[in-house]
Amino acid sequence: MDPKTAMYIAQGIHGLAYGMILFLVASGLNIIFGMMGILNLAHAAFFMLSAYFCFQFVSLTGSFWAALLLAPVATAFFGILVERFLLRQVRGLGHMAELILTVGVSLVILAAVKIFWGTESLPVKIPPLLTGLVSIAGMDYPVYRLFVIGMALTVLAIMSLLLYKTRLGKIVRAAVSDAGMVSALGINIPLVFMLVFGIGIWLAGIAGVAVAPILTVFPGLSDQVGMDAFVVVVTGGLGSLSGAFIVAIIFGLLSSYGVQFFSQLAPVLMFLFMAIVLAIKPTGLFGERE
Amino acid sequence: MTNKVSKWVFWLVLVVILAAYPKLFGLYYTNLFVTFAIFALFSVSFNLLLGYTGLLSFGHAMFFGAGGYGTALALKHIEGLALLPAVLIGLLSAAALALILCPLVVRVSGTAFSMLHLAFGELMHVLALKLRNITGGEDGIGGFPIPPVSIPGIVSIDIRQPENFYYFAVVCLGISLLIIWFFTKTPFGQIQIGVRDNAKRIDYLGFKVPQTKAVVYVVSAAFAGVAGSMYALFQNLISSAALNVLTSFAPITITMIGGVGSFFGPIVGSGIFQVIEELTSRYTEQVELVIGLILILVIMFAPMGFMGAISLLKQTWFPSRTARVALKGAS
Amino acid sequence: MFWKVFIPVVAFAVILGWGLPLAVAADLTKANASFEVNKMGDMSDFDPNKPVIPTGDTIKIALVASFSGPAALVGQIYYISVLWAAHDINKRGGILVDGKKKLVEVIKADHMGKPDQCKKICERMVLQDKVHVLWGTDGSHLMKIINETANKYKVIAHNTASLTDDLQDATNFSRYAFMSSFSTDQIGRGLANYYGQRKKEKKFYILCQDYMFGHAMAAGFKKGLKEFYPEAEIVGEDYHKLFLTDFAPYLTKIKAAGAEVVYTGDWIPDAANLLKQSRQMGITLPFAHIFLDEPNFLHEVGVDGTKGLVQLSQMYTDNPYFKTPEQIKYYKMWNDLWKTKWQAPFNTKLFEHGGGNIGSYNQQTYWLLSVIERAASTDPEKIIKVWEGDTYRFVNGKTLKMRPCDHKAIQDLYVAEFVVPDEQKVDFNIPPHHWFTGCSYAGPSAKIPADKVLPLMDEKLDRCKGKNGWGE
Repeated sequence: MDPKTAMYIAQGIHGLAYGMILFLVASGLNIIFGMMGILNLAHAAFFMLSAYFCFQFVSLTGSFWAALLLAPVATAFFGILVERFLLRQVRGLGHMAELILTVGVSLVILAAVKIFWGTESLPVKIPPLLTGLVSIAGMDYPVYRLFVIGMALTVLAIMSLLLYKTRLGKIVRAAVSDAGMVSALGINIPLVFMLVFGIGIWLAGIAGVAVAPILTVFPGLSDQVGMDAFVVVVTGGLGSLSGAFIVAIIFGLLSSYGVQFFSQLAPVLMFLFMAIVLAIKPTGLFGERE
Repeated sequence: MTNKVSKWVFWLVLVVILAAYPKLFGLYYTNLFVTFAIFALFSVSFNLLLGYTGLLSFGHAMFFGAGGYGTALALKHIEGLALLPAVLIGLLSAAALALILCPLVVRVSGTAFSMLHLAFGELMHVLALKLRNITGGEDGIGGFPIPPVSIPGIVSIDIRQPENFYYFAVVCLGISLLIIWFFTKTPFGQIQIGVRDNAKRIDYLGFKVPQTKAVVYVVSAAFAGVAGSMYALFQNLISSAALNVLTSFAPITITMIGGVGSFFGPIVGSGIFQVIEELTSRYTEQVELVIGLILILVIMFAPMGFMGAISLLKQTWFPSRTARVALKGAS
Repeated sequence: MFWKVFIPVVAFAVILGWGLPLAVAADLTKANASFEVNKMGDMSDFDPNKPVIPTGDTIKIALVASFSGPAALVGQIYYISVLWAAHDINKRGGILVDGKKKLVEVIKADHMGKPDQCKKICERMVLQDKVHVLWGTDGSHLMKIINETANKYKVIAHNTASLTDDLQDATNFSRYAFMSSFSTDQIGRGLANYYGQRKKEKKFYILCQDYMFGHAMAAGFKKGLKEFYPEAEIVGEDYHKLFLTDFAPYLTKIKAAGAEVVYTGDWIPDAANLLKQSRQMGITLPFAHIFLDEPNFLHEVGVDGTKGLVQLSQMYTDNPYFKTPEQIKYYKMWNDLWKTKWQAPFNTKLFEHGGGNIGSYNQQTYWLLSVIERAASTDPEKIIKVWEGDTYRFVNGKTLKMRPCDHKAIQDLYVAEFVVPDEQKVDFNIPPHHWFTGCSYAGPSAKIPADKVLPLMDEKLDRCKGKNGWGE
């Protein structure tokens, strides 16, 4: 393969990898919004928190795999606490109260992270199994980035199975369209909400662990991904998982091919795309609800 | 003493305090007051949109920034431009931006409205960073000439003197607040409350909902522009930071702390916020922790903010539906 | 190839004013004052975790920096550097100013990275805390505000860390502002000079952050290549946004462009992520840089990954680094305290040697204090009089001169190549004969004489009209 084609293919895979990370963050946001109507502005902070947990578990156990398992769960646990003891208390006060509350939570997480881990960048190494390069059609590509793509797809598959094949999924989908009715059927809605919030944060946690070895872990870690994930959710349509998936990939590709061809404009492309989509369809590509 | 007389006394005392303020508190607190007043106007303009139409904007910084850049660019490039026209250019730039966005935004409400503004706000921010030749990027436009306030042949006041700037800012911001106040008291303003509470009914009554929304939107943007313009003059600098998400969130948190449903809420909120900032920056490096905790506590225990808490106290004595209306405004 | 379309035609010859200094009148062999280790106070009780800050009638220095938010680390680095100098002076009994011995008080002033907060905090420092010096800072847009405030209220602004040249140009120059750091134009031209001397690599790729500083760094390098290495080729030029997550698209482009060296002005965390991700992708190109010297993450990338990096630093000198017993004594004073006394966050590898940027901020602060001592006053006019044209020798033997007309520091610059631990003894000539074991670090250095990299002088600035590059 000539080097130019190889470069274009590589850019495509970079785009997919970044898109998948975006999707993991965005999907959690989306599930929480779709189910609970809460725009969780602390989502990116949880994402960062998970990266810090990942660092902590790696230094404790020496194993990235243990961290991959434990860090998102630990993050989700904190998410559940926030839902149970804070968010649940302000339900009924409206969106604005929830928004401000989540902003408050994100600030507290940022402060906590700095108190416990300091402000220096912390290292997380790629596990030995996933280091190095693999040759695809005569082109070297880092194994770890392929692993990230694979992991995101696996999570997507699990999520779809959970949503469409289990009782919990049925309840969740029913509650999205009419929470009152589901509640009248005797289902414990608060419990379901708590679970859903936990799962959403867990997804952000997975993404946090996935990026930790690519980036250094530091207090501004979530700035870009957090904003990008928001844009993904809004453009794809609030509450639409498939919308988030498609737009995440589009944005991933936009960012890598944008750098390739219109480097000067790359940061604007995503917002331009969003502005155009929203101008035509204010609810986003696949969104129905406001 | 009748109610009317006590009102006059209140205003008189207020004017006297404001006039004596720089002498009483010194330069540093005078400048702090100007910051307070700028953010009070910014938040009131934001709350005009939220409290009176129920539209929550995540991108109000773009109007603030448009006002600032409008004034700064005008003063930098137009030789001999007087001060008030420069402020007016700030107002008009913000209003023009709002007019351009109008056809698009009046169609949406709720979360879509918020998100759309987050999008446009961020687009403006990135553009300000990218169009370095015009906006100066991160460094911004600084050191532009600031003309004196003058009535030709009679008086000319150099407002680069902090104390003079204080009087200029207080007058400008005060007049702006009065205009907004009267705007909400007109029958038109009352229709707005109707739009917020029950848009359909207003529609049936024969008022055009999108158009009335559009008017409030533009007015709100215009006064955010005035705030931005004063901010640029005060700092003698306007940079991309004025357009970022944090700036958009400032009026949201200020309004929330002060109280959403009331006209004075954001003004009180801005004052509280300045005090909090002043105290945290003096006594702790954990600024995020303190502000985060305050936000959480306010929402948990005083969701209607300071003014809400006051009216709740009042309500114990004079039951009314103020609090309930205010609550609705928040949702 | 497609990318070639996007390589901008090399920009205009931006030789803004200063003609080549043909007859160099001044030199840097003599210094008006120098840092003397033997006069130092007893530092054994210095602990940045438990600072001893005198109050009352003192010489007050406001440390304007980010102490909160994502960039809080920067504030910590400045803090230990400045506090050390202040502690030392205080242990010596203070400085005689205006007929009275006074101690040095360092006050933290958090600008939180925000322009309006920066203005507010500077005004508070000047109006309420009555500081004599505003010391700053990360971010040239914030340094501008510091300089303006200092100018307005007539106190000294000491710039040790903001590197853009326009801070001292005709528009922004203030008599009260002094820039004792190097600047973007010097850095860019200095590195270009280095490559022009060694003529090993020919194809350069420029990757900088997309804001004023990044563009200024790139412009300096391009100008330098034209001047010192005309046969070099710039095979690509990109500017990425700050705090970027994914560098892979840029790296793929760089690789395809056939670059031999990547020139970058990035700072941590961008610089760290750039290097880390390139090594993960199997791209082993060397980076020419100024901020890729943070040891914690260099260790993460490892010895092989960091080999061949090229750094220009204000603290590098001729090999070897340690030249006098005093210098070794000074080094050990810091290093011993680091080993035994300091707690988090000051106990990581970043603070081990007290060199690099930390050493530079520290020595620049000593210069400021020396100027105040010789002015024997905190009166800004007297300080200005002493500092203009002053020369000062750092602990490592390097001498800096404050150009009188525009208050920029003239100095020799050094570029060092990073080598594996075993080869670091050419520079680190005392036991254990290497800077670090887990990563490559400064080895052989090359000198770029001051007259080759005089700081950019703005001819439009009245004070500089008709002066040569040395301001004479």
